[in-house]
Amino acid sequence: MIEKIKEIVKKLFKENKIDIFIGYGEGTLPLRATPCFITGQDDIKKLVWNSYCLNNLAVYLSGFFLPQLKKKDVKLPRIGILAKGCDGRSIVGLIKEHQIPRENLYIIGINCEGMIDIEKTQNAVCKMQEIEIVSAEEKSGKVLLEDEDNKKTELKKEELLADVCKDCQYTAPLIYDVLIGEEKRKTKEKERAAFIKEFEKKPLEERWKYFQEQVSKCIRCYACRQACPNCYCKECFADQTKPKWIGATDDISDIMFFQIGRILHQAGRCVDCGACVRACPMGIDLRIFTYKLIEDVKEFFGYEVGISLEETPPLATFKQDDKQEFITEP
Amino acid sequence: MENKNNWEPKIVAFLCNWCSYAGADLAGVSRTQYPSNIRVIRVPCSGRVNPFYIIKALQNGIDGVLVSGCHPGDCHYISGNLIARRKFALLKSFLEYIGIEPGRVQFSWVSAAEGGRFAQIIEKVTGEVKKLGPIKKMVKEF
Amino acid sequence: MESSKLKIIKKRDVLKFLDSIKKEYDIFVPMEKNSGIRFSRFNLEKDIPWNYRNAKISPKEIFFPKTETLFSFEAGTSIISDGGKTFTSVNEPKDSFPETKDYLIFGIRPCDAQAYSLLDKLFGGDDFQDPYYLEKRKKTTIISLACNKPQSTCFCTSLKGRPDNEEGADIILFDLDEDILAKPITKKGEKFIENLNSWFKEAKEADIEKKNKLMDLSLKKIRSGVDLQHIKEKLDKTFDISLWNEIHQKCLGCGICTYLCPTCYCFNITDEMDHEAGVLATSRGKRIRCWDSCMFPLFTLHASGHNPRPTYKERMRQRIMHKFNYCPENFEEIFCIGCGRCIRNCPVNIDLRETLVLLMSFQSLGKNKKN
Repeated sequence: MIEKIKEIVKKLFKENKIDIFIGYGEGTLPLRATPCFITGQDDIKKLVWNSYCLNNLAVYLSGFFLPQLKKKDVKLPRIGILAKGCDGRSIVGLIKEHQIPRENLYIIGINCEGMIDIEKTQNAVCKMQEIEIVSAEEKSGKVLLEDEDNKKTELKKEELLADVCKDCQYTAPLIYDVLIGEEKRKTKEKERAAFIKEFEKKPLEERWKYFQEQVSKCIRCYACRQACPNCYCKECFADQTKPKWIGATDDISDIMFFQIGRILHQAGRCVDCGACVRACPMGIDLRIFTYKLIEDVKEFFGYEVGISLEETPPLATFKQDDKQEFITEP
Repeated sequence: MENKNNWEPKIVAFLCNWCSYAGADLAGVSRTQYPSNIRVIRVPCSGRVNPFYIIKALQNGIDGVLVSGCHPGDCHYISGNLIARRKFALLKSFLEYIGIEPGRVQFSWVSAAEGGRFAQIIEKVTGEVKKLGPIKKMVKEF
Repeated sequence: MESSKLKIIKKRDVLKFLDSIKKEYDIFVPMEKNSGIRFSRFNLEKDIPWNYRNAKISPKEIFFPKTETLFSFEAGTSIISDGGKTFTSVNEPKDSFPETKDYLIFGIRPCDAQAYSLLDKLFGGDDFQDPYYLEKRKKTTIISLACNKPQSTCFCTSLKGRPDNEEGADIILFDLDEDILAKPITKKGEKFIENLNSWFKEAKEADIEKKNKLMDLSLKKIRSGVDLQHIKEKLDKTFDISLWNEIHQKCLGCGICTYLCPTCYCFNITDEMDHEAGVLATSRGKRIRCWDSCMFPLFTLHASGHNPRPTYKERMRQRIMHKFNYCPENFEEIFCIGCGRCIRNCPVNIDLRETLVLLMSFQSLGKNKKN
């Protein structure tokens, strides 16, 4: 697959179709790949494609098209990007919200078979990272790990996939200029919403306790916000001083406000790419909350995020017969 | 701090200027009796209400929040309340999901002619919030 | 002889030992939490994770917590008039350093202890003495735990560190498997062991041999390093080079590197009012200090709306210059200890070692090709 990618990128640079290409390069730690920015044919050799390419690259796109850069005489850059299914959905969302012009993008879609979760892998070898993994090699569905005591472990890639990859519905982007691999759709609809349904069955107090527990780990580093492609606001509500929504204290109520606020701002926009969960250094289970909104939007308004460029976003429109059982009647 | 029997909930009511606020006004002019726990904030349209206001109110120790607008189809700004309906459906579902008692945050449609209905809704909301007790979740400790 | 000061305590006795002194000391130990290892107050139920690599969040949070109330205030109701101006009286700031026990930090890694001595230069320097930091710092005894197994991302040896570095600690411990070898470093450390002598016995030659062997092995394990000789001078010349354009591209601007770093110290001071305020006569509030980060949008944002560091290029440059150029200028120390937290936790795998190597190997294309 990587050869095909390199071929296409080489052609794009040769034919002067793009100014910059965003893909993945080799990481400096085992089980990591890193975002890679390429501006010329000489750097194409840096590109890689493997099961560690977990970053959502769409997060970099809106930075190239900031309003202040859209001056009349400034030429907007043409950007090539390697997009997995989740990245593709993010890109669709950004195009719809007029953050990036479709004409300036060249999307190399690639069918993704899931990315390996680093925490899961570390815990499979040793809890609390007491023994470090020094090398990882993947071969035909298996991952061969070697730790610093020279002990080798072989694990199935399936078992190490990130939760968000396990639930993935669209493994290749639906909007692309060229597609590598086949567009495969996993139809495990029932399983997908299962963990939300499980959680909903629990009593109210238990859900609150879990929410508090998760949220109390937060150190307000804002990594989730920065890693999310949808969080491109020039001024985030968390930084606003007029009005001051969130205080600076460690009070859990402030942390909750930030989390609830950010998640609510993703209503109808979150594509479940998992970038926030991966970025979080404290390992907060964010998906159980973001996913609820995705499910609600699907159930209430029949809208699936990141699928079509034409469909109007759910909170920008209405239907006469929208459900209103929640309205209080005397 | 107050005796549980004497405790009265504090409820903030966001009323849309053209319908619900007028309805509340009518209730007043008609001398209709209803619980005096609500503090009214007049907004031009229920669609103006940012979900953050509701969460901020809960954070500040308000025991219940009511947002009331025009009936669907009657909005002075044509579709403000219709978009709001979608927003509030998501907000209510999400707040309940994370464990905030559903009775604390409520939404209603009250038209300018429905003074009596307004009073009934306030009765209902106050009763429900009173049963839930003073808010503890989400409150910011000083 | 130095070795006569070395003592041994059995590993299995350590918990009881700490429990016995918890009345005199507020004890902080590394503790397993579901987000990783973090320094928390001693709990007899939880064993010390002797094989832990390092705490997720650096223990700077013990002296320099994420949020700290500097003082609280409550407006009185009497009005004082003074030369035409009127103002309400403010009660004496509350919370002025209540009497608390001495602190004991147990099991910190030598690199983190070294970080304390760096922060001491800032918070306790000649120009300004930070009472909040110093008040806790001066009543603290630090017992560090030497590293038997440095991680692949550790590069403390490039920054005046080593697995058994003694700087910043009062006592250093060595994990000899069943025994713990304790070496007092400062007078405070000596006194501490003296007072609790009944728990320790004299270290034998064999123990010291074992410790030396372990440390040799440990030092050899640190393979990752960057030659940082004259980095300050190097960075003096590299402010405007185009290399910075490439280094910052991946950066998301999340605050992880700064929050977890043991020597990052930027902070914000803000006032918070009680939510019942707004009632003029009874305004209560507090002044809070909280962590800030050079990566946050509000960092160096002017009131006019202009920000001299508009993109992550300027911010990454600021971070590296601050640690490797400005601090050496101000404090004659590089403000990095090579713990590798920023490398392990960066979501996009920006590797500080890689960045430093690129900068160090930059050749200026001018007439003076100084390295």
